[in-house]
Amino acid sequence: MGKTELTNQIRRLRFENGEMTQQQLADKVAVTRQTIIAIESGKYAPSLPLAFRIARAFDVPIEQVFQYEDK
Amino acid sequence: MYGMEYIKYGIAYITTYICFSNIRGEVMNRVQKTAGLLVVTISVGVTFSIAATSLLYVRLGMPRAWAGLAFLAVAGLGGLGPLVFKKDKGPVTCDERDRIINRRAALAAFTAAYLFVGLACMLPFFVLGPDGSISVTWLPMIFMGAGLITFFVHSAAILVQYGWRDKDGEN
Repeated sequence: MGKTELTNQIRRLRFENGEMTQQQLADKVAVTRQTIIAIESGKYAPSLPLAFRIARAFDVPIEQVFQYEDK
Repeated sequence: MYGMEYIKYGIAYITTYICFSNIRGEVMNRVQKTAGLLVVTISVGVTFSIAATSLLYVRLGMPRAWAGLAFLAVAGLGGLGPLVFKKDKGPVTCDERDRIINRRAALAAFTAAYLFVGLACMLPFFVLGPDGSISVTWLPMIFMGAGLITFFVHSAAILVQYGWRDKDGEN
């Protein structure tokens, strides 16, 4: 099984949504700002429910936020 | 005694660093700060205890050397962490990532304590043999050691998993 990586577009989507801050997004999806920082930098892969909540916060499908690629 | 000087300055630096990390714009939650304080106090308490007990053993011998263990009280200061550090700001103070980190840290702490107690039980058996005996005064020591190891490994595992400190992300 090849190495895989989860990438995300959260930073770009935040800026496209009225320059939303990490804290605002964290409040919207009910997590801490630390977790948003960790997800954005790829240090933490969120659970499926959290991934859906983030996608809903931006009003986009989940695959526009997270991409799963073989490395 | 340069070692003691390094330890003193080290404690001062780490404590100041933890307290002022938010002012410097780094994100460190209450759990991390408490874990940092515990790692520092336990390290200092154990180091000083070993040094003092060894010194007293050479000068006064047993059982007076046990007085050196009084320095372990320093480790107890780590328990003041929840009182010293304020609650995190924001409506959410704990989420799924924090729970995963805490669960892994607890598992690491349990494993370390289990290995310590196992080693403490098996070592005298292998060293002294099946007919050997040890003083029962070792039992509270093993209990205390297991407790210290549990807290130390739990705190260290928390710090490692959070990446010691999460750098402030761009807003």
